[in-house]
Amino acid sequence: MTTLAATAVSRPLLSRLLRGILPLLIVAIVAFFSVAAPGFLSLGNLSSLVLNNFVLLAIVAIGMTWAVAAGGIDLSVGTAVDFASLAFVVLLNGGYGLVVAIPGALVAGALVGSFNAGLIAGLGITPFLATLGTLFIGTSVQQLLSDGGQPIYIAQPVLPGLTAVTWLGMPLPLWLVLAVATVYGVILARGRLGREILAVGTQVQLARYSGLSIRQISLKVFIASALACAVAGIVLSSTVNAYVPMSGNAFLINAIGAVFMGTTLSRTGRANIPGTLLGVLFINVIANGLLLIGWNFYWQQVATGGLILLVLAFSFASRRQSPSY
Amino acid sequence: MPWSEILAQPLARRLGLLVLRRGSSGAFLLILAVLAVTAPNFLSPGNIANVFAQSAILGILAFGLTCVVIGGGSNVVAGGLDLSLAANLGLCAAVYSSLNNAGFDTVQAIGLTLLCGLAVGALNGFTVVVLRLPPLLATLASMNLIAGLELVLTQNSVLPTDSALLDTLAMGEWLQVPALAWMLLAVALLLGLLIQHSPYGLRLYAVGEYPEAARAAGLRVGLYVFSSYLIAGLCAGVAAFCSAAYFSGSTTGSGDMLLSVVAIAFLGVVFSRRLVANIPGTLLATLLLGFLINGFQLLNIASFWVNGVQGVLILLVVAMSSALRKEEGGL
Repeated sequence: MTTLAATAVSRPLLSRLLRGILPLLIVAIVAFFSVAAPGFLSLGNLSSLVLNNFVLLAIVAIGMTWAVAAGGIDLSVGTAVDFASLAFVVLLNGGYGLVVAIPGALVAGALVGSFNAGLIAGLGITPFLATLGTLFIGTSVQQLLSDGGQPIYIAQPVLPGLTAVTWLGMPLPLWLVLAVATVYGVILARGRLGREILAVGTQVQLARYSGLSIRQISLKVFIASALACAVAGIVLSSTVNAYVPMSGNAFLINAIGAVFMGTTLSRTGRANIPGTLLGVLFINVIANGLLLIGWNFYWQQVATGGLILLVLAFSFASRRQSPSY
Repeated sequence: MPWSEILAQPLARRLGLLVLRRGSSGAFLLILAVLAVTAPNFLSPGNIANVFAQSAILGILAFGLTCVVIGGGSNVVAGGLDLSLAANLGLCAAVYSSLNNAGFDTVQAIGLTLLCGLAVGALNGFTVVVLRLPPLLATLASMNLIAGLELVLTQNSVLPTDSALLDTLAMGEWLQVPALAWMLLAVALLLGLLIQHSPYGLRLYAVGEYPEAARAAGLRVGLYVFSSYLIAGLCAGVAAFCSAAYFSGSTTGSGDMLLSVVAIAFLGVVFSRRLVANIPGTLLATLLLGFLINGFQLLNIASFWVNGVQGVLILLVVAMSSALRKEEGGL
C-alpha cells in the first residue's frame, strides 16, 4: 500500500502517461499504417477489419473480462463457442428455425459455463485448472461427436443469413458487440454484481469476511462468460455457415492478451470492458496493418507477441503491485 | 459442503491425504492392471520400453514446467508457470534442423540449439523477475513471439533433417531399451537429484512456497526464480532433440502439446506426500498418460477419448487436493 501511494505521489505524470499507453499506441499505429499502408483507411478495409476480425474476438474477450475481473481466468472460452456453434448448426439443420436455434445455442454455451461454475464454486477447483479440464473434456466430446473433427455445414435452405442484416446502417454483428459490451460493461462498472465481482477479484478474503458469497458470484461470472462466448458461437457459425470443431480455441490467447492489456487503462489495474475492447482493437489493427504493408502472417505473430509483451511490461512496471523479487 | 468440512478436520484430513496419496498410486496401478489384462501385449518389455520412449518429449517438457512451478509457487495465475515451453521446443527443433541442414558441425548445432532454449528461458525469467509480469501473461506473450519466430524460420512447413545424433536418438538401443527412453530417465534422474536432493532444490522450494521467509533467510529470490526459467528453457532444448529425432526433423504444431504438459505437471502433484510439484511425481504422471494412450491404442479405442480422460483425471486430482487444502481459499 505504501509503495503504491509513494509511486502515485512521486511519479504522477509518468503513471498517468503509462495508463494511457494503449490508446496512445493505437492512435500511433493507426497513424503509422494510414501513411505506410495505402488503403488502410479505406471504408472497405476498415469494415472488413471490424466485421471479420473485431466482432468475434471482442465478444469472447468481453466474457473473459468478467472472469479476469473476478480474479480468475476462463481457458474454456473456445469450448463454449464451439458447443454453441454446434447446437446452432444442428438445430438449424433439423429444421427448427432461428427461433429455436438461437436459444438452443445459448443454452449449450451456458451448459459449458455451468460445468465450469460447478467445478469452481462446488468443488473449489481454481478457475485455471477447472477450465483447463473443461477444455480437454470439451475437445474429446467434440472429436467424438464430429468423427474426429469433420465440419458440419448448414444446409442451403436454412442458411441463417444473420451477418448480412443491417439496422440503421450498421451490420447486425456490430450491434451485437455493442449490446454485449453495454450489458457486461455497465453491470461490471456500475452494477451491484460488478462491485461484488471486483471485490472478489481484488481481495477474496476481505470479500468473504464482508459476507459476500464467493460461490454465487463465481457461478454467475462463469455462466456469464460462457453466454458471451455462445453469442460469439452463433455469429461464428452464421459467418462461415458451418460448425468447425475446435475452432473456438483460436480466440483464447488473444482474448487473454486483450483483457490484460485493457487493465492498463484502469488506475487500479482492474479488468474493464472499454479497456478490453481497446485491447482487441489493438491486436486487430496491428494484424491488419502488417498484412497491408506486406508482412506475412508469420511476422505478424512475432510483432504482435512483441508488442503485447511491451504493453504489459509498461503497465506492470508502472504499477509495482505484483510481488517484488 | 459437508465432505470438505469433514476433510478439514485433522484426523480426517490425515486420512484423506492417505487415501489421496495411496489412492493416486493405487489408481495408477489399477489402470495398469486393467490394461495389462485387457490389452494384448501391453506388458511385453518391448511395449513398455516403447511407452517410455514415446513419453520422452512430453515428459522432459513437463520436468521443465515442474521446476518453474516449484520456484514460482503453485498458484497458477500469480505463481510459476511457463506457457512458452511447447513453443520453445518448436523453435529449438526448427533451429537445430536449419543449422544442421546449413552444414554446421555437430557440436555447434547442438550448442546453438541449447543456447536458443536458454535464451527463451532467460527472456521469460527477465519478464517475470525484472519486469514483474505475472508468469501467466509473460509466458503467454513470449509463447506468441516464439511461435511466430518458428513460423518465420520454417515458413510453417516441416524441415526434414538427418544427423548421426538424431539417428542414435531415434534408432539407438542400449540393454534393449530405446535411446529416447534413456533420455527421459536420464533427465529425470539429473533433475530429480538437483531438485529433490540438493541444497539448490531445497532453496527453490523455499523460494516458491514462502518467498518472504526465503528472502528473510538471505536467499536471492529473484535469482532462483530466474534460474527455474533457465532450467525450463534448457528442458525445451533437450526435448527438441527428442522431437527432431522422433519426427526426423522439425514439425509444425508443437504448440498443441502445451496443455498436456501443463496437465502432466499438475497431475504429478498428487504423487507427492505434501501435494507439491516434484520431479518423480511428474515422471509418474507422464508414464501414466503414456500407458493410457498406449493402452487405448492396443485396445483400438478411438484416440478421441484421450483428451477427455486427461481432463477428467486433472479435475479429479485437483478437486481432491483442493478439498484438502481448503484453508488457502480464494477463487
